[in-house]
Amino acid sequence: MKRTRLIILACTVLLAGCKFVVTEKKGGDAGGSGATAPEQQVAEMWDAKVLPYLEAKAGDFKTVSEAVRTNAEAAGATYGNKEKQASSPWTVIVRLEGKIVAANTESRAGSIDVDADGNGSADARVQIGPVMRGTSLRDSLDFVSFNQFTNQIDFAQFGKAFNLHVDKTLTSKLPRDQLVGKTVSVLGAFPVENGKDLPLVTPAKIELK
Amino acid sequence: MSKFSRRLVIAAMGGMLAFSTALSARAADLIAIITPSHDNPFFKAEAQGAEAKAKELGYEVLVASHDDDANKQSELIDTAIGRGAKAIILDNAGADASVAAVQKAKDAGIPSFLIDREINATGVAVAQIVSNNYQGAQLGAAEFVKLMGEKGTYVELVGKESDTNAGIRSKGYHDTIDAYPDMKMVAQQSANWSQKEAFDKMETILQANPDIKGVISGNDTMAMGAIAALQAAGKKDVIVVGFDGSNDVRDSILSGGIKATVLQPAYAQAQNAVVQAHDYITTKKAPAQEKQLMDCVLINGENAKSLETFALK
Repeated sequence: MKRTRLIILACTVLLAGCKFVVTEKKGGDAGGSGATAPEQQVAEMWDAKVLPYLEAKAGDFKTVSEAVRTNAEAAGATYGNKEKQASSPWTVIVRLEGKIVAANTESRAGSIDVDADGNGSADARVQIGPVMRGTSLRDSLDFVSFNQFTNQIDFAQFGKAFNLHVDKTLTSKLPRDQLVGKTVSVLGAFPVENGKDLPLVTPAKIELK
Repeated sequence: MSKFSRRLVIAAMGGMLAFSTALSARAADLIAIITPSHDNPFFKAEAQGAEAKAKELGYEVLVASHDDDANKQSELIDTAIGRGAKAIILDNAGADASVAAVQKAKDAGIPSFLIDREINATGVAVAQIVSNNYQGAQLGAAEFVKLMGEKGTYVELVGKESDTNAGIRSKGYHDTIDAYPDMKMVAQQSANWSQKEAFDKMETILQANPDIKGVISGNDTMAMGAIAALQAAGKKDVIVVGFDGSNDVRDSILSGGIKATVLQPAYAQAQNAVVQAHDYITTKKAPAQEKQLMDCVLINGENAKSLETFALK
């Protein structure tokens, strides 16, 4: 524990020059129990850096959604990572609370649809794994950039490690039955897409009430 | 500039190498555009995109192909250096093998702007603008899994091993597909980005696995080879998904052959590289980030109509 703290401290202090050197295990067993180097890095930075950053940046879902509709760029810079890659979509960080109005637990890419404004229809789709798509959590962090990695593979593995960490520590512990009707509160991030589909939120915190 | 006068400039440059700096300030500056073989429409599109933008900005261009041969690439870099190019736009011939070639250009004072493929080093090229292959592969794989109903046997065709993109697409595919335990890969083979090789490999794979339900391919040319082999074997229901967003695959999607692909913005990417090269040449200003990712877009029956030469209309 003490040692972990030390590593985090070292990483925080040296962040400007901190290079993510990922020595990844070969074999690539998705969802396997053996943690890879990026998973360890994510686990080590999760409580000390990731959660405090997300908590500080997050806005209420309704506020953020309206801000996105008005000006995605301004909203992205306020509620997300303003240093993002030029051509990728903005990723925003939200606090979301509401009733679960639908659940898809048949697909491995499980999700719940949440009604945040109480009108009975879904406003957001929250991924509950075990398969989670995208790299929203990684992309929302302003202290992680592609330039810190040797190549796309290492950068990608780092992004995936966030999803694996969330599934391992949070979403795999959620019940799969009778989700509809329950109230859920979520801290998470979603990419700003063209508004055709529900915003796809990857949770960093999720709690059923 | 006519062919003849271009020759004259080359001859002049060769003859008066010592004066080439003074000369090139007057004559049109040269940008070298070096890519893999134009047999693959993807590389042709990026070369054309770069050439069009360079000419628009008033440059003379040298367009050449290294045919994925690192030695040939090295010779072409020498040519670019010898002709006093102001910048090199390069889709390289191998993530490790190309580092030395790009370094050689840098040592000669010529900045390189990489497109499509990365090299395994930073601080050597001025820019590395690449498609977000992992994000694209996840899009393609998610569509593939959905079309397969999350289950069934499938084949993966992998690209050329020396190209980082082959590995990352395969990884992106598997990071998505392997989370579905009922998806079973029965064969995984490299067809080196080649249509012909994919056709031959697919025929052989079909002999051992006649009942496969899907083929996921690391690029569009291999997907075209696979669908041709499948159709020749009378297998019309096998789901094929590619990667690149070529016009060939668009036409196949529209006629009910291949089911989906992932568009890499090749044309825009090449033009973007030339704009950054122009900024660097004129103002000495490098882009804020060396490594830059451009997101990919899923192409299927819904939007294939709008696809033209690696761009959505």
